[in-house]
Amino acid sequence: AHTVLYITGLQFVLKLTPHTPAASPSVPGQEDIQAAMPVEELDPSHYPATRAAKVAEHFINTRYGSPFAWFGSSGVKKAGLEDMGVLGTKYHIEFTLKEMTRNQDMGLCSAEVLFHRADERKPPQVQCTCSGAFQVNTSAEEEDLYQRLRNATSLLSGSDIPNSVGHIDPEMAPFWHLGGVASSFIMLRESNESTLLNMAHIDNFTQMETKDAQLMFQYDILLHDMVSQEILKWKLLLSWSPDGGVKVLEAEWDPKCQAIPTSSILY
Amino acid sequence: MKWCHVRDVLDFNRHRGFFIDGAGDGVKFSMFSSAGRALLLLLLLLLDCAADRSTERNYEYTKYHPMPEISAWMQQMVEENPGLVSSEVYGTTYERRDIMFLKIGVDQDGVQKKAIWMDCGIHAREWIAPAFCQWFVKEMLLRYKTDKKVGEMLNNLDFYVTPVLNVDGYMYTWINESTRLWRKSRSSPPESCSCPGVDLNRNFYANWGMIGVSRNCCDNTYCGAKALSEPEARAVTEFVGNRSGEILCYLTIHSAGQLLLMPYGHPQIWAPNYDELMRVGQAAVRAMGSVHGMEYRVGTSPDLLYPNSGSSRDWARLIGIPFSYTFELRDKGQFGHKLPEDQIQPACEEAFEGARVIITYVHDKAFHNRTDIGAAGMAAALWTSMLASCLTTMLLV
Repeated sequence: AHTVLYITGLQFVLKLTPHTPAASPSVPGQEDIQAAMPVEELDPSHYPATRAAKVAEHFINTRYGSPFAWFGSSGVKKAGLEDMGVLGTKYHIEFTLKEMTRNQDMGLCSAEVLFHRADERKPPQVQCTCSGAFQVNTSAEEEDLYQRLRNATSLLSGSDIPNSVGHIDPEMAPFWHLGGVASSFIMLRESNESTLLNMAHIDNFTQMETKDAQLMFQYDILLHDMVSQEILKWKLLLSWSPDGGVKVLEAEWDPKCQAIPTSSILY
Repeated sequence: MKWCHVRDVLDFNRHRGFFIDGAGDGVKFSMFSSAGRALLLLLLLLLDCAADRSTERNYEYTKYHPMPEISAWMQQMVEENPGLVSSEVYGTTYERRDIMFLKIGVDQDGVQKKAIWMDCGIHAREWIAPAFCQWFVKEMLLRYKTDKKVGEMLNNLDFYVTPVLNVDGYMYTWINESTRLWRKSRSSPPESCSCPGVDLNRNFYANWGMIGVSRNCCDNTYCGAKALSEPEARAVTEFVGNRSGEILCYLTIHSAGQLLLMPYGHPQIWAPNYDELMRVGQAAVRAMGSVHGMEYRVGTSPDLLYPNSGSSRDWARLIGIPFSYTFELRDKGQFGHKLPEDQIQPACEEAFEGARVIITYVHDKAFHNRTDIGAAGMAAALWTSMLASCLTTMLLV
C-alpha cells in the first residue's frame, strides 16, 4: 500500500512507494521481479555505500532543503547492493541524517538509490524514508527572511562564500545554505557510481527582480568532485519561497574554467 | 604580563627543595629556609616567565598562515629550542623555493637515530594540513617536559616534520579567491598541453601512472609526464629514500574526508602487514573519534575513497617503511578544503591523538618490542595527554 507524503516545514513523514526489503519473496509474474534479486551486503564504511549516501543526501535536500535546513549524512550504518541487470545497480542504504545548520541529529534514513547503466546517462533514481523525531521548525525564520527580502528597497548580493579561511558572515549563511540546496539539484543529476559531489564555494550570488511571489537568485557556484578532484563551475538561476521551496530554473556548466593559467579565471 | 603555566613554576621549585603551595590560577607560596635567596630565585624565575616569548606558546596556531609567516615560525622554533629542534633545506620547488623540514628530537651527539617522517601540504588547497604540522610540533615541544611518553619518544626518535611540501602551490592559493582551490604543483605544462601543475601525490615512483590518474595536464590528478617529474616529489624521494633503514613510519597529511588511508592505492595489491596496519589504524581512528565525536574511517584508498597510484604513501611502503598512512582531516563536505579557522583547534586535537597512537605503537614496537594496544594503556595515554594539554595551553595575559 502507498502512504501519503506530508510535508510541513521539515516534518517529512513517510515513504513515496513501499520499501521492498531484500528478504521478502515476491509473487512471480508481478512487475517487481527485481525484488527476487539477491542483495549483496556491502561494507558501510566503503566507497560504494558512501557515494550512494551522498546521492540520497542530494535527493533529500532537493525535496526538503531551504536557507535554514541543509541536510547531510553522518555515517552509513548498513548497505546492500542489488544487481538490477539491464536496469542498472540499486543500493539499499541506511544512514544517519544530520541537519547541518544546527548540527542536529535527525535520526535514521533508509534509501534506495538506483544508478542506471552508465551508457544510458540518466540521473540516479532515489526513494527515501526517514524516521525519527523532527522537531525542527524553520517556518518562522524562513518567513522572516522572505519578508525582509520582499520588502527591501535594493536587491541583495554577496560574494566569496566562504572566504579563504572558511569564514561566512552570519548574514550570508542562509544564502550559503540556499546555494547548497540548489546545487543538490545539479549534483543529484550529475551523480553516478564514480562521483562524490559537494558544493565547494559560492563565487557570487545576486538577487534578481521578480514579479511573482518567488524570490529569484543568480548563483555562480563551484562544485567539487572528490573522486576526480575536479572543480566544476556552474551558473544557476534559482527561485525560493517558504511555500514553494527551492527550485532551479536554469543551470549552465562552464567548461572553460578548468585551467587557471595565471591568476584570473577566463570566461 | 604573561605568567608561566603553573606546572613549570612548581617543577622548578620542587627541584630546588622549596615548598611551594600552588593554586590553579596563580602561585601562592610560603618558604621554609634560605628565604631571601629562595625568594630572589623565585622572583627571577617569575620575571623570566613573565617575559616568556616562546613561540610555541605565542604563535597563533588557530589561524591559517601564509608561507612567509610559516618560514619565520620555523626559524624561531630552531632558535628557541637548541638541542631539540633543528632544520634543513632538503629540496627546491619548481619556482626555486626552499623545501624545509624541522627535525624534532633530543640531539644525541650527532648519532643517527630512528625517525618518523611527517609531511603536510602536498596538495596546496588543503590548508588544515600545514596548520596541523605546526600544531603537532607545538604539542610535542610543550609535552616534552610534561609527558613522560613524549619525552621518551623524543629521546629515542627524531621527527622530521615538513609543514609545507608544495610551497609553490600553497603560495598560489593565497593570491586570491580564484586561486584558493588549486591542488597541484606549479610547474609548466608539457608541450602538447596548456595547463600548469602536476598532482604531486600521483607523481611518486609507486605503480606510477597505472590507475586513478589522468594523462590530461589540465586535470587535477595529472600524474606528470613521467614519475618524479616534479622536484618536490624528488626531494622527498631522495631524503627519505636515503634513510629508509632509519625511518619507521611515514605520515602524510591531507584534507578532507575524515579518513585514515593505508597502502596500497591499487585495489588488488596488499601490503604484507595489512592486518597490523589495520589494527593500529583502528586504534588511531577510535582515539580521534573520542576527542570530539567525529567519525573517522580507516582502510585502503580503493576501499574507502578511490584507487590511485604514484602516491607518496604507497612509495614509502614500497621501499620498506613498515608504517605508512595518509591522514585525511576534516570535514566531510560541508566546507571541504575551506575549513573555518574556528575548527582548526578541534581538528588538530583529534588528529594529534590519532598520530600519537600510531607514533607510540611504532616507538614501542621498536624500543620495547611491544605490539599490544591495550585499552587501559590508551586510556591512560589519553588522560595524560588531555591533562597536559589542559595545563600547557593556559596562556594568561
